[in-house]
Amino acid sequence: MNRVGVLIFPGTNSEEETLRACRAVGLDAELVPWNAALDDVREFAAYVLPGGFAYEDRVRAGAIAAHDRLMGVVREGARAGKPVLGICNGAQILLESGLVPELDGATLVQAGFTRNAPLGKYRSTHVHVKLAIAPGRCALTATLPAGTILPAWASHGEGRLAARPDVLARLGDEGHVAFVYCDAAGRATPESVPNGSALGAAALVNARGNVLALMPHPERDAWTFMHHDDARERARGDAAGMLAASGGIALFAGLAAAVARGASA
Amino acid sequence: MILCIEISLSIPDNEARTALATLQRLGVRAERLERADLYRCDVEDARARELPDVLRGFETVFNPNKHELRVREGDAPLTGEVWVDEIGGNARDAGPVRLSGRTLPGVRSLERFIAWRLFAAPDVPAGPDVVTAATETLLCNPAFQKAIR
Repeated sequence: MNRVGVLIFPGTNSEEETLRACRAVGLDAELVPWNAALDDVREFAAYVLPGGFAYEDRVRAGAIAAHDRLMGVVREGARAGKPVLGICNGAQILLESGLVPELDGATLVQAGFTRNAPLGKYRSTHVHVKLAIAPGRCALTATLPAGTILPAWASHGEGRLAARPDVLARLGDEGHVAFVYCDAAGRATPESVPNGSALGAAALVNARGNVLALMPHPERDAWTFMHHDDARERARGDAAGMLAASGGIALFAGLAAAVARGASA
Repeated sequence: MILCIEISLSIPDNEARTALATLQRLGVRAERLERADLYRCDVEDARARELPDVLRGFETVFNPNKHELRVREGDAPLTGEVWVDEIGGNARDAGPVRLSGRTLPGVRSLERFIAWRLFAAPDVPAGPDVVTAATETLLCNPAFQKAIR
């Protein structure tokens, strides 16, 4: 069973790219609207929460969607060890729902992605992120080589990880920072962080290792034609090369492997 | 002097409606919810009278077609009200106080909040237990926001 539900809330806007990336790695992915029958939603083996502006980011980014009825099913699934991937707004929802980081096993709001620093403005820029944990720490990265560097697009106004100092210390010490921003060579420099995120964090994983909240969009750099480097230029005139899966697709391959194992990390 | 200026929507506030519906679904006993942007300013006495009109001239802050501006009495939350602000969000560099990139004449300091006003009945402010429940379930993320109530 490799059915994956790509969840849509009012205001979600990256579901088609996400669906395509899931299908490209062999997952039987379907779009699942917020008003779907919950028993049907429970049948999926994994869930992906795409980017966008769920409920127009009312109150705070991800805050309303975190309390949506659909998230009750995601909570059940996460507790049962199903893989869950949140991208951008999906990541914000996962933190607002308390599914990540789940310090001490508590599903409480312990961290958040808030306004970018220093200007507090929306940014759309190409980034690289590096796997900062042992691959096996997270179900979705278990098949990636250590230190994997993924290209992605950061496209958010609220992507700066924020939490109390003691929580931030634990996020670092206890292996919750799954990906950090880096340059193309994998160096985690302050300049490579597009939003002032604490710990340079681009993604957090929960304690159990089956829920990953990733701010930049790997699905927007999952095919050669989406690349922001000379790979795209080299493929010019070669339709098959231009449409070849690459880059960010590796994370979806990791999701597919996790679904195939049917288990958490 | 301290001047507290509130800017709220004069048209239906969809954000407040969504927040109220979510709170009610989560079991918070609120009947009505209002939301406003709040600017608490420490302003020179001589410039205080003109400050509301200065803000009315900031088109990214105040649109006369959909906003109402009023100077509040007092400078603390009312009964049934919680003010939410990002931790460190009101820190600023030295120099003139600015809002939306423009200088606020005579203003020594400026704090911005979102004010949420909860009602237990149409015109009855909610009690502290309801305000606390609403704050902790939805209105404030304690990881990076603080609530004043």
